[in-house]
Amino acid sequence: MSEYIVEMRHITKKFPGIVANDDVSISVKKGEIYALLGENGAGKSTLMSMLFGMYEPDEGEIYVRGEKVKITSPSHAAKLNIGMVHQHFKLVSNYTITENIILGQEPKKKILGFLPSVDIKNTDKKIADISKKYGLEVDPSKRIEEVNVSIQQRVEILKMLYRESEILIFDEPTAVLTPQEIEFLLKIILELRKGGKTIILITHKLEEIKLVADRCAVLCQGRLVDVLDVKETSTKKMASLMVGRDVDFKVAKSEMNMGREVLSVENLVVKNKDGFPVVNDVSFKIHEGEVFAVAGVSGNGQTELADAIAGMLRCASGKIILNQKDITSENIRNRTEEGISYIPEDRQSVGLVLDYTLSDNICLKNYYKEPFCKNNLLYKKEFKTYSDELIEKYDIRSGQGSDTNVRSMSGGNQQKAIIAREIELGSKLMIFVQPTRGLDIGAIENVHKQILRERDKGKAILLISLELDEIMNLADTIGVIFSGKILKIAPASTLTGNMVGEYMMGVKEHE
Amino acid sequence: MDTVIIDGLSFAIPLFIIAIGGIYSEKSGVINLALEGLLGVGAFTGSVAFLFFNRLGFESMPLSFLITFGFAFLGAGIFAMLHGLLCIRFKANQVISGVVINILAMALTTFLTSQINALVLGKPSNKFILNVSSKFTVPVISKIPLIGAIFTDVYVFMPIIIFISLFAWYLLYKTTFGLRLRACGDNPHAVDAAGADVGKIRFSSVVISGALAGIGGMAFAYSITASYSPSIYSGYGYLAIAALIFGNWKILPTLGACMLFGFTRSGGYKIAQLLGFSSAFSDVIMTLPYLFTLILLMFFSSNNKAPLALGEIYDKGKR
Amino acid sequence: MNNKKSSRPNGLKKAVVRLLGNPKTQGLAIPLFSILVSLAAVSLMVMLFGKNPIDVFKSIMQGSGVLPKAAYASKKGMLTDFMAMLGILTPMIFAALAVAVAFKTGLFNIGVSGQMMISAFAASITVGYSSLPSVIAKPLVILIGIAVGALAGGIIGYLKYRFNVNEVVSSIMLNYIFANLTSFFINSYFINPVSRQSRYISQASRLSIANFEAFGLKMDLPLAFILTIPTAFFVKYLFDRTRLGYELKAVGLNRNASKYAGMNVGKNIVLAMTVSGALAGIAGVTYYMGYFSSIQPKVLSDLGFDAIAVSLLGNSNPIGIIFSSLLITIISRGSNYMSSSVGLQQEIAQVITGLILLFTACGVYIRYRVNILKEELEDEKRELKKEGGQE
Repeated sequence: MSEYIVEMRHITKKFPGIVANDDVSISVKKGEIYALLGENGAGKSTLMSMLFGMYEPDEGEIYVRGEKVKITSPSHAAKLNIGMVHQHFKLVSNYTITENIILGQEPKKKILGFLPSVDIKNTDKKIADISKKYGLEVDPSKRIEEVNVSIQQRVEILKMLYRESEILIFDEPTAVLTPQEIEFLLKIILELRKGGKTIILITHKLEEIKLVADRCAVLCQGRLVDVLDVKETSTKKMASLMVGRDVDFKVAKSEMNMGREVLSVENLVVKNKDGFPVVNDVSFKIHEGEVFAVAGVSGNGQTELADAIAGMLRCASGKIILNQKDITSENIRNRTEEGISYIPEDRQSVGLVLDYTLSDNICLKNYYKEPFCKNNLLYKKEFKTYSDELIEKYDIRSGQGSDTNVRSMSGGNQQKAIIAREIELGSKLMIFVQPTRGLDIGAIENVHKQILRERDKGKAILLISLELDEIMNLADTIGVIFSGKILKIAPASTLTGNMVGEYMMGVKEHE
Repeated sequence: MDTVIIDGLSFAIPLFIIAIGGIYSEKSGVINLALEGLLGVGAFTGSVAFLFFNRLGFESMPLSFLITFGFAFLGAGIFAMLHGLLCIRFKANQVISGVVINILAMALTTFLTSQINALVLGKPSNKFILNVSSKFTVPVISKIPLIGAIFTDVYVFMPIIIFISLFAWYLLYKTTFGLRLRACGDNPHAVDAAGADVGKIRFSSVVISGALAGIGGMAFAYSITASYSPSIYSGYGYLAIAALIFGNWKILPTLGACMLFGFTRSGGYKIAQLLGFSSAFSDVIMTLPYLFTLILLMFFSSNNKAPLALGEIYDKGKR
Repeated sequence: MNNKKSSRPNGLKKAVVRLLGNPKTQGLAIPLFSILVSLAAVSLMVMLFGKNPIDVFKSIMQGSGVLPKAAYASKKGMLTDFMAMLGILTPMIFAALAVAVAFKTGLFNIGVSGQMMISAFAASITVGYSSLPSVIAKPLVILIGIAVGALAGGIIGYLKYRFNVNEVVSSIMLNYIFANLTSFFINSYFINPVSRQSRYISQASRLSIANFEAFGLKMDLPLAFILTIPTAFFVKYLFDRTRLGYELKAVGLNRNASKYAGMNVGKNIVLAMTVSGALAGIAGVTYYMGYFSSIQPKVLSDLGFDAIAVSLLGNSNPIGIIFSSLLITIISRGSNYMSSSVGLQQEIAQVITGLILLFTACGVYIRYRVNILKEELEDEKRELKKEGGQE
């Protein structure tokens, strides 16, 4: 038997219009942690999806435990003891944790001695056992919609363990976690290796690779650039291989030049459908030329906070004051006119009308104003002139310029279009929610520069992000949100990443 | 009072089985407006089978009506494959597909009814005359006041439908198939990653949906008109959809919605009769169940939660 | 599956892509292609019944006045048949436009039939049974149709906006309510005991001129037809050029983004259903008070449901709808004559319609496949170029 448990040889996979993998070969040893490093769109996930049977390669061969295999479906992969935690969790939201774990491999029992049915009760116990064994505690009878992201990830890991997978693929597992949760996850991953599992870790975060991986394959634009021994390679080298050039991690930030107050949020409460306060008694102020960053674990009320300020959600109580004017009960349009720009978290389902053209999307917030609209009639020529201008100014790339269907554009360019539109509104307050999610390094740098440029122009910036690095890099003031409450507000210079991380977990001041 | 219960039930129960059909399809993520057409196809195939066996001289067979229901089940199930094919294989818009299936079902059955009548019976009628389904009364229990009515003058098909709906409940909530089916309506990607075939599960759900609607259609043909004619297409399928949405895509509350339709309907008739209104006035009474539903929907719709992936075309490639 | 595709001869691929792949003409080419395929399927079916498909198609066209028949009764001619066809085409176009307006806003108006009936009923009892002169009566009928239809549609929109009531369910409920209510009033007060329908409306209020004589022929002249094409262009203009249209389409495509952009989603939903209902109202009066001159109580017209499919066949495009309505109307109008001259049951017309719609529903899929083919061809071209460059 060969020393490699997984070998993928000369894999090529094409999708209409792009080559996702171009002649990629990797070999993974049993019991090692093998990292796949690359930017978004470098082809890491596609490569692993083929190992997991979601796609079949156009060319090339896959060997598992020395035997040539053709993996046609995830269930086939499961038979080969391959499991995968996807970046977007594959969970059924209204099912319990147990139901999610057993889906596809349901334990059976007989009701009344003859009717076959799914055995939930005994499995609950079994799952509780497994989860205790690996330190992944969960309550098996809770529904997925009731638990947070990090528990959901545990469920995904438990799914693999329940299926007794030997080869575990993790696709960007830390993207949604706090530093402490990341630390915990990495510990679990090391624990799993100790237990004899082979782990393939897809990521674009170099520190994680440095911490746990044994070897690392670098992909760039669908091609394999190099396979490195992690211990002997510097992070800097890995980064430049991944991007294809040298990168700066820090953005140059000038001194803060704080002006007068722009936004004041006072005792804001936002309730969800069930009347539960998801934003609870939140107060803060943002000034001209200040980046106020809200740090927090996903699902702690930060999106709702942004939505409430922008007018997408109703406030149960409290006040929102913009430019000395109470806008708490204004509608969205009036707030926009009063001076709010909003780059929403979900750019595809909120920020854009995907089936509208680029020019229609660029004008989504001022289509009703002159010169675009007079007497309720639209002047599409003006739409085009304006959007051509922005396309040029912000370097938005698309197939057919202003007439491109936005759906066909890349995520980075979609985000550029939104940011261009919102900056050009000229609002005093700009809200950025997760502005760099899913973008590659070049695009992230670009967005960061834009945020700081707006700050230097004297705008007030509210930045909400799950990426701690982003917050530490950009913020002038940091507010940490935990289960709807702001636990700490302090100048960024007085906080370290670890301190912020602790507040994010709900730990209060020690002193 | 007894007639209200008897008539109400004999309308509610067939409607219920059609609505369960709808639940099967929609819980798997496929919108099914085609119920209307499917119940007609079921009634048609069942009736053709009935005529065929009658001509062979089997009418005295005690189980002949079981056979007709069997054919209704099969016929509508097979026809539902078309909806499955369009929605799943050909990625058609599910609402549009449903409407198209309805038009095609109505057209085909009406055309074939005339054609068969012309060929076999020699008269170009658009009807098949059926016997009224026999009824039975459970001895002792039926004597209990009020509740007894439930066991009086029961159509023979009623216990069968109730048995089938019990089985449908068991299949949907207790078995592996049901677990996967309901998961398809919430997050098909999860089902795919778990190694089950989303397309196959959805396809079989749509087929079951059709088969159950077929049974309901046959029951309507037996009970309401005692014949098969194009008048079977009078909107019961759409009513079943209203019932299942009202019932929040769950079997038990849907039963409640169907009962509501059945009893307001039979109750309304009874009241009109008691008060000695003209027959025209019964039309006004007949608006009551719908008006009533509309008003109830106004109060309960805000909490309605359709299956998350309902109407979404599942494409493996997209993530 | 991709591998299978690549092994197909390149010539066929190219031909398919050339015919159906141009994004500018796809909107037309793909429905036409679907219609051709469905006509082939119909031909096969007709042959199964031992008839010649050409005879069937020809007699359908003759019956609807598009082709001349072999012989006519006195005072009847091709023009008579043609005008009768236009008479039913008129409400079909309005009804299909009604469906399209809702559909573009992401709503499904399955209540067109009910809205048609209630509008026509209201116009009948107010104007139809009055002695108003025709210059006043005819426009008034249309206005009442529009007003009542708009109200009926608006209710559905309001219920959706205010109470989140699913529009499919509420329009079905309203269909029943309207059908039963009108039935009660017609049966109680306006019944013609012989025909079991509502009493005939006055000639002055009718939207077509019965037994109009021209060229030595008698015909029913559908006056409202002149409104159809301008209305279709108006709807197109509404969606392409106006602020309302931009907002409606945005709401239809993405409700969250529309809200985010500051549009009033609820208002737009109500407005869309109101416009849709108004169009259905015109369809109602042109149907019951133009093509017919009375209402059959309790029976909702099939036309309102067929319109959903016609709208789809026209890709919800107002201009496309004119043509799809024409096609479907020709088939249904010509079926009677076809039945007597070829000897197939008349109901086959609906089957033909159904099959056409069935194949059209697959249009999305055809487009999807053609576009994949196109990408593949372009990839191959690119690769060829690359290799060529290396040599």
